[in-house]
Amino acid sequence: MDKIRNNAIVKKIGFNSLVLLVIMILLYILFAILVPIVNAKANTTFVSWSRIVSALNYAYFLGFLSLGVTFVIATGGIDFSIGPVMFCAALISGYQLTMKGWPLVVCLLLSVLVGAMFGVFNGLLVSFGGLPSFITSMASMMIAKGVGSVWTKTQSVSWPQSAAENGAYRNLVRINVGGVDIPTGLIILLVGAIICSIILNKTKIGRYILCIGSNREAVRLSGVNTKKWETLAYIICGLMAGIAAIFYVGAYTTVQPGLGDTFNNDAIAGCVMGGTSMAGGVASIGGTLIGVLIISLLQEGILAMGKNINYQYIITGLIVLVVVYTDLRSRRRRS
Amino acid sequence: MGDVILTMKGIDKSFPGVHALDHVDLEVRKGEVHALMGENGAGKSTLMKVLTGIYSKDAGTITFEGREVEFTNPREAQDAGIVIVHQELNMLGHLTVAQNIFIGREFMKGRLIDDKKMNEEARKLFDQLGIDIDPTETMSRLTVGKQQMCEIAKAISHEAKVIIFDEPSAALTEAEIDELFKIIRDLRDRQLGIVYISHRMDEIKVITDRVTVMRDGGYVGTLITKDCTKEDIINMMVGRVIYEDPKTESQVAEDAPVVLKVEHLNAGRMVQDVSFELRKGEILGFSGLMGAGRTETMRALFGADPKQSGDIYVNGEKVDIKTPQDAVKHGIGYLSEDRKRFGIVVDKTVAENSTMASLENYMKGIFIDKKKENEAAQKYVDLLKTKTPGVDQLVVNLSGGNQQKVVIAKWLVRNCDILIFDEPTRGIDVGAKSEIYHLMNELVAEGKSIIMVSSEMTEILRMSDRIIIMCEGRKTGELGIEEATQERIMHAATLRN
Amino acid sequence: MTDKKNGNAFTNNPIVRAIGVQKIVVVLVLIIMLVFFGVAAPSFRSYASLLSIMDYTYYLAFLGIGVTFCLITGGVDLSIGTGMFCYALIGGYLITKQGMPVIVGILVTLLCGVIMGLINGLIVSKGGHAPFLATLCTMMIARGLGAIFTGGVSITWPLSSSPEGWTRSIFKFSLASGTKIPLGFLWVMIAAVVMSIFLNKTRPGRYIIAIGSNKEATRLSGINVAKYQTLAYVISGFFTGLAALAYSSAFQSMAPGGGAGTELNAIGGAIIGGTSMSGGSGSIAGTILGVFIMSVLQTGLPKVNLQANMQQIIIGVVLIIAVYIDVLKNKKLS
Repeated sequence: MDKIRNNAIVKKIGFNSLVLLVIMILLYILFAILVPIVNAKANTTFVSWSRIVSALNYAYFLGFLSLGVTFVIATGGIDFSIGPVMFCAALISGYQLTMKGWPLVVCLLLSVLVGAMFGVFNGLLVSFGGLPSFITSMASMMIAKGVGSVWTKTQSVSWPQSAAENGAYRNLVRINVGGVDIPTGLIILLVGAIICSIILNKTKIGRYILCIGSNREAVRLSGVNTKKWETLAYIICGLMAGIAAIFYVGAYTTVQPGLGDTFNNDAIAGCVMGGTSMAGGVASIGGTLIGVLIISLLQEGILAMGKNINYQYIITGLIVLVVVYTDLRSRRRRS
Repeated sequence: MGDVILTMKGIDKSFPGVHALDHVDLEVRKGEVHALMGENGAGKSTLMKVLTGIYSKDAGTITFEGREVEFTNPREAQDAGIVIVHQELNMLGHLTVAQNIFIGREFMKGRLIDDKKMNEEARKLFDQLGIDIDPTETMSRLTVGKQQMCEIAKAISHEAKVIIFDEPSAALTEAEIDELFKIIRDLRDRQLGIVYISHRMDEIKVITDRVTVMRDGGYVGTLITKDCTKEDIINMMVGRVIYEDPKTESQVAEDAPVVLKVEHLNAGRMVQDVSFELRKGEILGFSGLMGAGRTETMRALFGADPKQSGDIYVNGEKVDIKTPQDAVKHGIGYLSEDRKRFGIVVDKTVAENSTMASLENYMKGIFIDKKKENEAAQKYVDLLKTKTPGVDQLVVNLSGGNQQKVVIAKWLVRNCDILIFDEPTRGIDVGAKSEIYHLMNELVAEGKSIIMVSSEMTEILRMSDRIIIMCEGRKTGELGIEEATQERIMHAATLRN
Repeated sequence: MTDKKNGNAFTNNPIVRAIGVQKIVVVLVLIIMLVFFGVAAPSFRSYASLLSIMDYTYYLAFLGIGVTFCLITGGVDLSIGTGMFCYALIGGYLITKQGMPVIVGILVTLLCGVIMGLINGLIVSKGGHAPFLATLCTMMIARGLGAIFTGGVSITWPLSSSPEGWTRSIFKFSLASGTKIPLGFLWVMIAAVVMSIFLNKTRPGRYIIAIGSNKEATRLSGINVAKYQTLAYVISGFFTGLAALAYSSAFQSMAPGGGAGTELNAIGGAIIGGTSMSGGSGSIAGTILGVFIMSVLQTGLPKVNLQANMQQIIIGVVLIIAVYIDVLKNKKLS
C-alpha cells in the first residue's frame, strides 16, 4: 500500500483522488449490474451513451456549484445559498432574455453577475459583520428564492431551445458537429476546474484562503487582510453559482422559482467526498470534480433503477455525515 | 495554627523533556494561610494540579486528614474537601449567582428546582462571609471581584477544608482585595487550611502565616512569614546560580538612534500608560511576572488588539498602527508567545509559512513564484539552521525550536527591522534555545532591533542590553544591564502602584 | 465601582429586567405591525385574518419552542422544517391510505419526531459533528424519507367534515353557529408554560442552559453533558412532531418533499425573541413573541399586495438583522 502511495505519479494525482476514481468505476459497474435486475420491467440498461450524457448534464452545473463552494469551505465557512442563487441567476437572466429581449451574451454575463452579487452579500456579512456563515447563507437562500420569483412574477422561465433564436448558449453544454455530439460542457468544466485549481494552489487568493481556513489568527498577525480574502472566497463561490446557472439551463432549459436548495447538499457532498475538509484549510479541486461525478452517477443510477430523487437526498445526506465523521476522527487522532 | 491537615511529600512529576516537580514538599495546617511562591514556571500550578487530581504524580505521597489519598479528578478532590478558586473563573455567565453556586446539586421541591431555597442558602453563605452580593443577579453582570467571591462561597458550600487560591488578587481592585483578605482571615479563624498562591510580596506579608518557596520545579524551603523579610523570600526565589554568563555591559553603540518610541500606550486594564524606547541594534528585555501585561503591550503595539491611546514613532516618525497590516508595513514583526495559535499555520509547508507576511514579493504576475519562494525559504532554512527535510515539509512535523525558526524566518523574509520576540524559547529544548540566542545576537549585530519578552530571569539577564520591568499593566522599572540583578528585577516585578 | 457592568436606568429597572428589553421591543414591533397592516389593508382587520395568523402560529410556535432548546445549547436544528412534513406525511399516510386509527397516526407522528431528535442529538453530542451540518444532513434525509414512505403522493389528514377529522377541531373548534374558535392557541400557551417551567425550573433545563453558557465548566461540575445535549435535540424532535400535527390540522394537503425553509421561520422567531445563536440564553416566551412576528408577516404581507414571495426576502432580511443584533449583543458582553 505504502509503495503505491509513494509512487511519483500517484503522488501527483493524489492518493485520495485515485481511490475516488476507483469508487466511481466500481459504482458504474454496480449500476450496470443492478439496473437491469431492479428495474426489470422497464427493460432498461445502464450501459448506454444516453445515460452518460444524462449523468454529465447533472455534473456540469453541479460541478460549478461544487467548485465554487470548495473555496468557501476551504476558509472554514459554508454556503447554503448556492443552489437557490443558481436558480435566481437563471431566472433573472432568462427573464431578461425571453421577456425583455436582451441580447444573449448580456444575459449570460448577467447570470454570472447575479451570482457574484450574492457572493458579495454573503462575504461581507460573514467576514465584516461576523455573522455565522451557515445562518447568513440560509437567509440569503431565502432572499435568492424570493428575488428570483418576484423578478419573474412567480412564473417559471424557459430558455430557448437549441434550434430557436438565441439557442446558441446550449452549445456550451453540447455541440453537434456533423452529426457527432461533442460534450463541450465537460471540456468547459474541466477547464473551469483547472482554473480553480490554479487559483487555489498557485495564486495569492488561494494561498490566503487555505491559510485562513487553517489558522485565521496566525494569518492576520502576519499582516494579511483576512477579511478581504475571506470575502473573496464567497464572491468566487457566488460567481461559480452564476456560471452553474448557465449550464443548468443549457442542460434543462426550464427553471422554476422558489427551488434550488436541494442542490446545496449534492454540491457540498461532492466537495467533502473529494477530500475538502469542513474544518477548513484543506481542499482539493480534483477531488471535488471526481466527487461531483460520483454524485451525478449516483443520481443517474437511482433514476435508472426506477427510484425517485428522494433516495438521492437520503444517500447524499448519509454520505456527508459519514465522510465528515471520518475527517473528524482522523483530525482528532492526529491532535 | 492547628493540626496538620494536608501533607504533600516528595512529589515528583515529569513531562516529556521536563522535570516539572522534583521531590516537592508542602504542609498545610488547619487555621493557617500558607503562601506558595516562586517565579513563573517554578511548578506551583503543577503542584496544585497534582493535588486536585488533574495530573497524576510519578512519586510521593499526599496525606489529607491523616489518610493517604489520590484523587483522579477535581470532582473527587472537591467531594473530599479540597477546592481550588481558579484564576480563570469557571463560571456560567448566563445563570444567576445562586444557580452557579449550586450547579449540579440543586435544591429540589418535588420535581422542580427550588430557586427560592437556593437564593436563601446563597444569601446565608454571603452573610457568613460578610459580603454583599444579590444571589439572583446574573453572573456575567458582576465584576470580576464579585465573581471571585461567588467562587469562594461555592467552595465553602462544598464544606471545603482546604481552599487553594490561585492568584486571587490579580484582577481585583484595592477595595476588593481588602474584602478578600477579610474573608480569608475569617476562613482561617474557622480552622480551614488555606493555600495562597501569589506574586505580590506585600500581600504575602499581610495575609500569610507561612511561606513555601519553589524554584525550577524544586522545593527550596518553608519560612514563618513574620520572621522573614521580603528580601529573604526574593533571595530564595531567585537564588539560583546562573551558569550561562549574563551580559555585563550593553552592546549598543552610544550614538545608536532610537528606532521605536512608544509613548503613553493604553489598552485596557493590562496596559496602562506604558512608554519606552528601542534603539538600533538593541535587545530590550521585558521582564515581569505572569499577567504583568507584557504580551498585551506588545499586541497593542503591533495592532493585534485595539488600543485606547498612545503614540508610536518608528525611526522618529509618528505612525498610526491600527491593524497588524499597519505594523508590518512599518517594518515591525511579532513572534507570538503562543506559536501554535498565533505564529504558524501548522498544516502548511515551511515555504508557505516563510513567505506568509511578504507574499507580494514572491509573485510572477498573478501567480506565486514557487521557485523564488522556495529559494527564499531555503535561504533562511540554511541561515537559521532549521532542521527540516525540505522547504515543502509541513510545519507540523517540525520540532518546537524549528517551528520557532520558521516564524523568525517569516519576519526576516519580510525584512522587518524591529522584531518583537514574545517568549522566544518557550517549549524549546536547550540546544535549540542557545541557537536562538545566538541568532538574536547576530540579528542585532546586523542592525536589527529586538524587543524580547521573557519570563525566564536567566534569559533576560543573558540577552538584554536594557531591561524594562512591568507589573500589573504598568512599567515599574527600567534597568541597564550593568545595574541589573535578579533581586532588583524581582523587586520591581512585585512593585505595586 | 458598581455591580452593574453595563446598562442604564431603563435597562436596570427591575420590571424591565424581569421581562427583558428585547421582549418589550418585540411586543412594540408587533403592535406597530398590526396597526400598519390594519391601516394599510382593510381586509386585515377581520376575524378571518386572526384565524389565519393563528394557523401559522401553531406549527411555528411548536417548532420554535423545540429549536429554542437546541439554540440554548449553542447548537441548531435545521431538520425541523422538512422533518415536520415528513412525520405528518407518515402519520397521515397510515391514517388515510392504510386505514389505521387516527390515534395511531398521531402517535407515530410524534414517535418519528422523537427518533429523529435522538439521532440528531447523538450525532452532535457523541459524533462531534457541527450541529448545523449534522441536522442539514438529516434535513435532507427527512425530506427523502417522507416522500418515499408515501410513494410520492400528497397527503391530506382527514377533513373536519369526516368522522376522523376530530384532529382539526383540536386546533380550530367550530361552534354550532359556525363560528370558529382558535382553540390551538390554548394548547400553544400550555406548551409554552410547561416548557418554560421545564427550561427554568428543572435540572435538565438548567443543565441545557449551563451547557450553552460554558460547556467545559458544566462538564467540570460533574454533569453529563452529552446526555443533556442529546435531550435538547430530542425535545426539538418531539415538538417537531407536535408541529406536524398542528400543520396537518390547519392546512389542507402536504406535498412530499415540502417544508424546507420553515425551519428558518422558526429559528428566526426564536432569535427575534432574544434567544442567542451562541447559546446560554433564551426564553420560550420570547420565542412565542418572535413567532407571532413571523406569522403576522405571513398573513399581513399578502394583504398589502406584496407577493407571497416577497415574504421570503423579508424573512431572509429579518433573519440577518436578528442574527446581527445577536452578534452585537455578544460582542458587548465580552
